[in-house]
Amino acid sequence: MTEKLKRILVVDDDVDMLDQAKAILGAKGIEVFTADNADEGFQTFQEKKPDAIILDLMMEEYDSGFVLAHKMKRAMGDDKKPIFLATAVANVTGMKFDSTTEEEKEWIKTDAVLNKPFTADEVLAKIDAYYEKIGD
Amino acid sequence: MTEAKPKALVIDDEELLRLGVKRLLELEDYDVDVASGGVEGVEKATSGDFDVALIDLKMPDLDGVEVLRRIREKRPHTVCYIATAYASYETAVEATRLGAQGYILKPFTDDELLDQLEKGVRKRRLELESARLRQEREERMLELATERSRLKTVVNALADGVLVVNYEGKAVYYNPAALTYLGLDDLSLEEPALDKLPEELRRLISQYLDEPEKRTTAVSKQLALKPNYELTIEATCTPAPNPDGSIAGVVVALKNITELKRIEHLKNQFVSMVSHELKAPVAASIGFLNTILDPDTNLDEETQTRFMERAVSRLNSLLTMVNDLLDISRMELKTAVRELKEVNLAEILEETISLFKMDIEKKQIGVDFETEENLPTITADENEVQRLFTNLISNAVKYNRQGGTLVVRAKRAGAYAATTVRDTGVGLKPEEKKKLFSEFFRAKNEFTKGIHGTGLGMSIVKRIVDSYSGKIEFESEYGAGTTFVVSLPIRREEREE
Repeated sequence: MTEKLKRILVVDDDVDMLDQAKAILGAKGIEVFTADNADEGFQTFQEKKPDAIILDLMMEEYDSGFVLAHKMKRAMGDDKKPIFLATAVANVTGMKFDSTTEEEKEWIKTDAVLNKPFTADEVLAKIDAYYEKIGD
Repeated sequence: MTEAKPKALVIDDEELLRLGVKRLLELEDYDVDVASGGVEGVEKATSGDFDVALIDLKMPDLDGVEVLRRIREKRPHTVCYIATAYASYETAVEATRLGAQGYILKPFTDDELLDQLEKGVRKRRLELESARLRQEREERMLELATERSRLKTVVNALADGVLVVNYEGKAVYYNPAALTYLGLDDLSLEEPALDKLPEELRRLISQYLDEPEKRTTAVSKQLALKPNYELTIEATCTPAPNPDGSIAGVVVALKNITELKRIEHLKNQFVSMVSHELKAPVAASIGFLNTILDPDTNLDEETQTRFMERAVSRLNSLLTMVNDLLDISRMELKTAVRELKEVNLAEILEETISLFKMDIEKKQIGVDFETEENLPTITADENEVQRLFTNLISNAVKYNRQGGTLVVRAKRAGAYAATTVRDTGVGLKPEEKKKLFSEFFRAKNEFTKGIHGTGLGMSIVKRIVDSYSGKIEFESEYGAGTTFVVSLPIRREEREE
């Protein structure tokens, strides 16, 4: 399934993480787009229509990643693409979000969480898992 | 306790009779006093406390009945006998009406007299005893009533809530705090209370009532009665058993722990934030090293070096952050070792500015530095003052614009030395101003990209200033710059000048 995945958007305010993503995902033959803030990230998302998106959780605000994920999922309509939330915090609880209720899970709208630093293989495995789940 | 001798008073105008009776009674172990007439008799009887009095009916100065009346008036417990040779029906009635114990007809035998008086003494003793008991009982009743109302007052005044539920689940006792915490307007006694209680508390109490043999010890439970840490109560249920071991009810103590929970929440938030801030540079550094080691990436040497340098730089900033956190922790715990001495502020400011010479030149920032002549010294730890102004001036340089200005001024302002640090840099948005001194706050906008920092510098500044009872004020305009004024108290001896 990953063969057809050629384009991934990474949004993170830590430029170091962006350069790493470019290097490791680029080495797998993936085209990587990057943005270092939520607004630019959404703009690139609409222009490039990536096959998967990796979002940093905490950017300008503690919940920037969630907000952006929500906005992107809404903009996707029926053409669903996976969104992964990358965070340096192992579990998201204790932050602004205790994602315990169904409403909150629904609201967060991300498909999986990636622990930083992530490897290319981890990203590809999550993408595979996503498409298996939705039965593509 | 040996009983005191019975006290008797003999009132008679016949001397012989007086003496005879006195001698007889003294032999019987009475304590005897005599009076030779009615007036004297009344006086003695009312000023002393006699058990019995023998009163002659016919006395020249005062009639025996009158003597009896006057004695009874003042000493109702003295048992009085009228002695007379001329008993008439009327006087007998009159004397009895006035409270005489009895008549003793003259002439009387020793036994007759003793027999009568003994009865009198016994009566008098019983009367006294019963009066004492009556008084004691009244006092106890009063005490009990006071005790009850005192207990009620105490329980009602408790900040903790108290609720007692009986074995049928009915409220049998509660105080106003309990109603407030449970959000109940009213709870009439003897009314089924369980349904009105919060679910968790209801379940806890039910466990005691339904299975008393399983729940025999107190259990506490924290109940978030209002969301967002508005009201958290710790409910402690204690079973109240009957003497036979069956359950009589449950005593529920409700303690408001909202403030504690709030602090706990803040602490958790802080820990989460610290973890995140510490993990980010670690993740970035490991990420760089993994990328270099990943055989797939095939990086050229130049990129490898660049990635390693960036990993080192992130680790260095991590080290700075850890040191800052340790400093904050020392300040919080007040374990920082201080070396207080007279500190020359002007010198420190000059040194600090020179520390940033390179950055200032690189950004072509114009420095305008001036201190008042004879600026009073401050008593402080030199390192801390240096730290304070290093953080402030470092920000003023870091966040300044290319070709901007840095103004540093120090002058005396009353009992304080006031230092102004002004930059022409990024400035703060209105919503950022209240977060400025919070740990890990960093202004994130188009101007601050690429500026590194731990987000702890201003928090440390604030803590240092506060620890010297100083004050820090600032004005800021987004895109135009920020001005800080730090006021530190000057040396006490110089304040009066």
